[in-house]
Amino acid sequence: MKYFFFHLMSWPYLDADFDAKNDSAWIWLSNSNYDPVKGHDLYREYIDTLAYAEELGFDGICVNEHHQNAYGLMPSPNVIAGALTQRTKKIKIAVIGNALPLYNPPLRVAEEFAMLDVMSGGRLITGMVIGGGPEYFSYQIEPTTAREKFREALDLIIKAWTTPGPFEWNSKHYYFRYVNPWPTPLQKPHPPIWIPGVGSAETIEFVAQRRYAYMGVPYFHIDVFRRVFGQFREACAKAGYEAHPEQMGWGVPIYVAETDKQARAEFEPAFRYFIKNLLKGIGLTPPGYTSPKSAAAILQNQKFFLYQQETWADIENGVFAIVGSPETVRQKLARYQKELGVGVVLTGCQTGTLPHHLARKSMELLAREVLPRVR
Amino acid sequence: MLNILKKLKYGARVLLSKGGGQPETIDIAGKSTILLHGGAGEPFVYLHSALGESLMWLPFHQAFAEKFKVYSPIHPGFGRSGGFDQITDIEDMAFHYLDMLDALGLEQVCLGGVSLGGWIAAEIAVRWPERVKKLWIADAPGLWVESQPLGDLFRLAQNRDKLREMLFDDPKGAIATLVVKDQPDEAMMLNAFQAMSVLARMIWTRPYDPKLAGRLRRIACPTLLLWGDHDRLVPPAYGEVYQKLIPGAELKLIKDCGHLPMFEKEAEFVETITNFCLA
Repeated sequence: MKYFFFHLMSWPYLDADFDAKNDSAWIWLSNSNYDPVKGHDLYREYIDTLAYAEELGFDGICVNEHHQNAYGLMPSPNVIAGALTQRTKKIKIAVIGNALPLYNPPLRVAEEFAMLDVMSGGRLITGMVIGGGPEYFSYQIEPTTAREKFREALDLIIKAWTTPGPFEWNSKHYYFRYVNPWPTPLQKPHPPIWIPGVGSAETIEFVAQRRYAYMGVPYFHIDVFRRVFGQFREACAKAGYEAHPEQMGWGVPIYVAETDKQARAEFEPAFRYFIKNLLKGIGLTPPGYTSPKSAAAILQNQKFFLYQQETWADIENGVFAIVGSPETVRQKLARYQKELGVGVVLTGCQTGTLPHHLARKSMELLAREVLPRVR
Repeated sequence: MLNILKKLKYGARVLLSKGGGQPETIDIAGKSTILLHGGAGEPFVYLHSALGESLMWLPFHQAFAEKFKVYSPIHPGFGRSGGFDQITDIEDMAFHYLDMLDALGLEQVCLGGVSLGGWIAAEIAVRWPERVKKLWIADAPGLWVESQPLGDLFRLAQNRDKLREMLFDDPKGAIATLVVKDQPDEAMMLNAFQAMSVLARMIWTRPYDPKLAGRLRRIACPTLLLWGDHDRLVPPAYGEVYQKLIPGAELKLIKDCGHLPMFEKEAEFVETITNFCLA
C-alpha cells in the first residue's frame, strides 16, 4: 500500500454568507475576494505541510491544477512542484495533473514535467487530465473537442519523451515542425502516468488499455468507487492482463484526532465550508464536453456526489470522508482499501478552513498510529 | 389562465400546420441532413436559430409556405441531422449550405434566418452573392460591437428564468414559457445539449467571426435586417452595424419583441419578410 498526501490549497477566507450570495466559487467569483498578503502566508504554510509529509513517512505528495477559483489555488501545480523538489529529498511528487487541452503548445507539459523529473532526481509522477468543466470557461477552450485534444496531446508528449528529436508532428489539432524538448525526463522510458477519473467508462477503458494508473477523484459515494474499480479490473482483463493494485488509487479525505467525538468536532465545520462553498460550481459542464449519454449519466449521479450530502450520517455512510480516533480510522481504512482492492490511497487532511495546527496533528496521528498498521 | 389558452391555441396551430412540412433525409456532401419542405413558389430557404425551431414544422414555416416553396433544413449536429464531426466553424456551415443549394439544384434563392441562422445566411451571401436573390437577417450575431458585448449564453442557459429574460421581451408570457419550458423532458434536454454543442463549436473560442465585418460589402442583393427592439441577447446595435456594412441594407425594428421574433411577433415577422421577398 502506498499513501499519498494530497493538498488542494483552498482559500479559507470566504465570507460567512458566501453560499447565500454566490452561485459559484469558480470562474466568475471575483478575485477581489483574494488577498495576496494572506495568500503569501497560505502558500508558505501549505508548502510546509506538504514537505512535512515526507518527514512523517508518507510515500508521496500530490498537487493539482485549477483556474480562477477559491477551491484550489494552484493554477500552475508545476510551480508548487518545483518548490517541493527543493524542499524534499525522497518522497514521490505527483502532479495530478496538468490539463492538456489548456496548454498550447502541449509541448509545454512535456518540458515542465521533464524539468521536474530531472530536478527531483526522478521522483515525479505525471498526471494527465482533460481538466474539469469550469476550466473550459476560465481558459475559453472549445469544449466539444476536449477529448480529442487530450488524446492527441498525450500521444505527442509521450512520443516527445521516448523518441529522439527533432521529429515532425501532425495531428488534427496540433502541428509542429520540430518536436525536440530539452530536457528529457530522468525516469525511463518516461515517468509514471496517473490519470484521475470521475467514473466515466470511457476513461476507465482508456487507462486500462494503456496500462496507466487510474486515480479515483474523491467526493463520491463508496458505491461509485466499488463500481469504478470493478470496471477497471474488468477492462484490464479485457486488455489481456491482471490489474496491478498500484494502478488503482482511491481519493478520500481522512481526519484523525484523539477521539471520534473530537475528530468530528474539529473536522466537520471545515468540511462543511468546503462542501457548501468551494464545491459550489465545480460541476458546471460546458456543452459538448461529454457525450450526451455521459451528460445524462452525470446528472443521474448527482446524488452520489458530496455536494448533495446533507447530514453527517450521509457523509459517514457514503464514506465521503474517514473521520475518527486512530482506532476507528484504522478499522475503516483497512476495510475499504481491501474491499476496493486499491494499492494507492490519496488522502488529504487539510480541507476548507481547517487550521494548520489541526491539519498537522491529524497528519501525525495518521502517519504514526494508523498507517504503519494498515499498510 | 390567459397564458394557458394562448398555449393551447399555439398547440392547435402547430397541429394544423403539421401536414405542411414534408421531412426528407438528403445527403449533402456526405452529411445526412433532415430537410423539411412545403409550399409552392419561389425557393425560400429558412435557416434556424440555435433553438432548433425547425426540428418541427411550425405555424410560421406554414405561413411562409403559403407564398413560397420553403426549404427548412436542420443544421448538422441538431436533432437527427448528421455531420457534426465535419463542422468546425461557421465557414463550414456556409459551405454546407452551398452544397445543399447544389444538391437541390437551386441556382438562386431567398435566403434568411434568425440568430445563428441569420449569421450563416450572411456568411453564405458574402462568399457566393450570385446565389442569393434576397437576403434577410434577423437578430443575428456574427459581429462584435464593442459598446454592447454579447452575454454568455452558455452561463445563462443554466438558469431558465434568466434565459427567458434574455430571449423574450415578455419573459413571463405564454410563448416564452412554451418555448423555454421550466421542466423540459428528456428529449428536449438532449436536443438542447446537442444544439449548445454545435453553438459552442461556432462561438466558444470567439463569439463572432472577425473576418465577417470586412466582407459584408460583397453582399450584392437587397438585404433586410429585422430586429426585436428589445433583443437583449443580440441587441439592435448589431443590426445597425450590419446595416452600415451591407450596401443598401434596410433595418426594421419589431416593437415589443425580443430575440426570437418568429415566436414572439410571428405575424409581423412573417409579413415583413414575405413583403420584402416578394417586392
